[in-house]
Amino acid sequence: MDIRLSGVSHRYDQTEVLRDISLEIPSGKIVCIVGPSGCGKSTLLRLIGGLEQPSAGEILQVGTPPTDCLNPLTYVFQDFALLPWRTVHGNISLVLEDHGIPSQDADDIIQNVLARTKLSDFAKALPKQLSGGMKQRVAIARALAVNPAVMLMDEPLSALDSQTRELLMDDLVNLWTRTPFTAVYVTHNLAEAVRLGHSIVVMSRRPGEIREIVHLDQPLEQRGLGNVEMEEKQKYLWQLMREEAQAADAELIHV
Amino acid sequence: MSDQVNTFTIRPVPFRGGGFAPSSRRWVGLVVFVVLIALAEMGTRQGWISALTLPKPSDVLKTFGELYSTGLLWKHLSVSLSRLIVGAALGASVGIAVGVMIGLFSYVRAGLVPLVAALFPIPKIALLPLFVIWFGIDEGSKYALIAFGTFTPTVVATYGAVDNVDRGLIRMGQSFNLSWWSIVRKIVLPGAMPGILSGLRISLAIAIILLVAAEMLGAEYGIGAYILEAGSLYDLERLFAGVTILSILGVTLSTCIGLIERRLLRWRV
Amino acid sequence: MISLNRRKALALMGGTVAAAGLSTPALSQVRKITVGALRFTSHSASFIALQRDYFKEAGLDVELKFFQAATPMAVAIASGDVDYAVTAMSGGLVSLADKGAIKIIGGALSEEAGIDGQKYLVSDAAFQAGVTSPAMLDGKSYGITSAGSSFHYMGSKLAQKEGISMSFKPLQKVGAIIGALKSGQIDAWSIVPHIAKPLAGSGAVHIIGNVSDVLPDYQVTTVFTSAKNAADERGMTGDFLAGFSKGVSDYNSTMIDRAHGDDGVNEMVDLIHKYVYADRPREKAAKSIINGTMRLNEGAAMNTASLQDQLSWFQSEGLVGGDITLDTVVDSSYVKTLG
Repeated sequence: MDIRLSGVSHRYDQTEVLRDISLEIPSGKIVCIVGPSGCGKSTLLRLIGGLEQPSAGEILQVGTPPTDCLNPLTYVFQDFALLPWRTVHGNISLVLEDHGIPSQDADDIIQNVLARTKLSDFAKALPKQLSGGMKQRVAIARALAVNPAVMLMDEPLSALDSQTRELLMDDLVNLWTRTPFTAVYVTHNLAEAVRLGHSIVVMSRRPGEIREIVHLDQPLEQRGLGNVEMEEKQKYLWQLMREEAQAADAELIHV
Repeated sequence: MSDQVNTFTIRPVPFRGGGFAPSSRRWVGLVVFVVLIALAEMGTRQGWISALTLPKPSDVLKTFGELYSTGLLWKHLSVSLSRLIVGAALGASVGIAVGVMIGLFSYVRAGLVPLVAALFPIPKIALLPLFVIWFGIDEGSKYALIAFGTFTPTVVATYGAVDNVDRGLIRMGQSFNLSWWSIVRKIVLPGAMPGILSGLRISLAIAIILLVAAEMLGAEYGIGAYILEAGSLYDLERLFAGVTILSILGVTLSTCIGLIERRLLRWRV
Repeated sequence: MISLNRRKALALMGGTVAAAGLSTPALSQVRKITVGALRFTSHSASFIALQRDYFKEAGLDVELKFFQAATPMAVAIASGDVDYAVTAMSGGLVSLADKGAIKIIGGALSEEAGIDGQKYLVSDAAFQAGVTSPAMLDGKSYGITSAGSSFHYMGSKLAQKEGISMSFKPLQKVGAIIGALKSGQIDAWSIVPHIAKPLAGSGAVHIIGNVSDVLPDYQVTTVFTSAKNAADERGMTGDFLAGFSKGVSDYNSTMIDRAHGDDGVNEMVDLIHKYVYADRPREKAAKSIINGTMRLNEGAAMNTASLQDQLSWFQSEGLVGGDITLDTVVDSSYVKTLG
């Protein structure tokens, strides 16, 4: 299933947040959205997932999601959004409970996603016992459990320290390589974008418009640390964004 | 000059980080109790505390013993506890229900928050005669008074707790297409539980206070009636025995809620 | 404290002398004391003695201090804030006496055959259901202020005499009892005639008997003071009782024996009206004041037999210690004892 945005604009009262965004998110690819803070990239993600309605333009699902997909558009949040009173197992079963799945099948699904995210040993742990990286892996496992058509990832690694971030990026690459999934990945971190994105959408400061879409052809599993081509891309992206970031920063101070 | 300073003033850096770190000293509370009681006992025995001012702690204990051995303790305690349990259960459950509704529905909030704010400061004791007419002089008015007294603080605590439930979690629930009822049951209610329980702590203390007030009218038995009777008879031993029972009741209830909290809120960091 | 009193007294005396010129006889010693009172007709003796200067003649400068209920008044005596007061011998009073705080030194109000006294009342609901005499109160509820109050005593004695059992509902305040009786929440009560009669007149309650039938010579209220005054201030206590007795005497002769005719009654009603029902117009108050007339004990004499009966009842109910004797509670050296 693809997602198509055409002429999407959005405003909160007087403030124009997004202006005329048209974008194609192809099935089985990861699209990264980068931009300076306040450019509306998180808003864009909420619009894509239907948590908010755009002021103008339309967002379309092209094709039908697979039949075993429980929640076509599934988010992974920056703050993990795990229920602290439920165990890892309980947090994942939460999103299966409303679908009338027999408990044996649900357990199988949970075992499966826990195995894929290397969390099998922590099924009974409470979120407070887990590190930040583990928590985000639980959140990813939860997202995988509903077999989403598109994963909407809102700065999923921003709350983590840099080592954990590296580890999780490896995990995500492995996950994708084994079973490619479709994702919209919002981040302000260019290293993440060049590591995970098949295409990278660079946005201007508010009101957010698309500056440029950069395509990266190198397969994900080959984009390790110190990859020269990636460094080049990242440098290029930074040049694109630098002025915008500076202006956005100054703007925030003057407000 | 700097050389001189360096050669003459070698000493350890002074420690300035002491205090302001409360640590557990359980026994101190007990010692305070014991010392106060011992002082009272000494004073009343030697006469520098007059019999009008304080009863002998040992006499209070004896009164307590008599109360126990005659079976009256249980008679008073059982009616009081049933009043407390029925009244508080009624008030707290309706309070939680209304509080959750206020937290969830804008119209209910707009309609009821001013009403609750208007009801909250009313001294419930003042309404007792009215309750007697509405609910009868027997158990009805007592249940009503305690229920009403626990209702308002529970409502306020509950809707505050619902308001404070992490919006991110609710958004997460919506993003996974959970039904409205699932979100309320699995996210809002457990998330509001810490606030509700700490509200309940206050509500139950109020319930104990109101127990005495409720037993002012038409109660032959009950801890509150016992205390009031002792007061009107100037029987300080009984008065103190009754007050002690109330204190123990309060501590017990508070401990119970503590246990429930520890059980239900194990997940808290 | 005494010096302060004396200084105050001297200042006051100076003022009095100045105001009255030299006609006032020079008083050798004027003691300033505080007398506690409730705004009830049964406290009239104190009002009369004050208004007609009987206290002053006895060498006392009396300040009246008004209370809402007997309980705080008794506590005020115990704490020394009030020197003398009149109230029923409740369990609380006995308890305070047992703690060495107060003493009963005389009688005030008593039931007397032939004179309208306290009434037993039933609610309209109970009356309609057929409770028309005290004997029919078996199994009914009876309003009292608190355990060990005079209401409790009167109800319990009634039950004893009729061989019935009633449940006693403590309601703390007279107002609450009246409300409960009117709305039928309780079935029966007993109260002084000036409250009983208007209530019965409204039809909400019915009078079904006289307390004096159950408790002839019932010593309803007593004069009491602190144990210290009773023991160490014999002169002052005697002076107080002398002044008080003159008030009693005036009250009985005018209001009951009508020695001065209707004019006398009217004059006395005016006097009492200053203190009782002051918020009501004279005509309405007069009716209540006259309705409330009960004989006060001449010479503050007290009926020790009745007091003993009350004490024994408190003890049988377990309300006060069983080892308390009447001597602990009563100092009978001041006035004549009856019974």
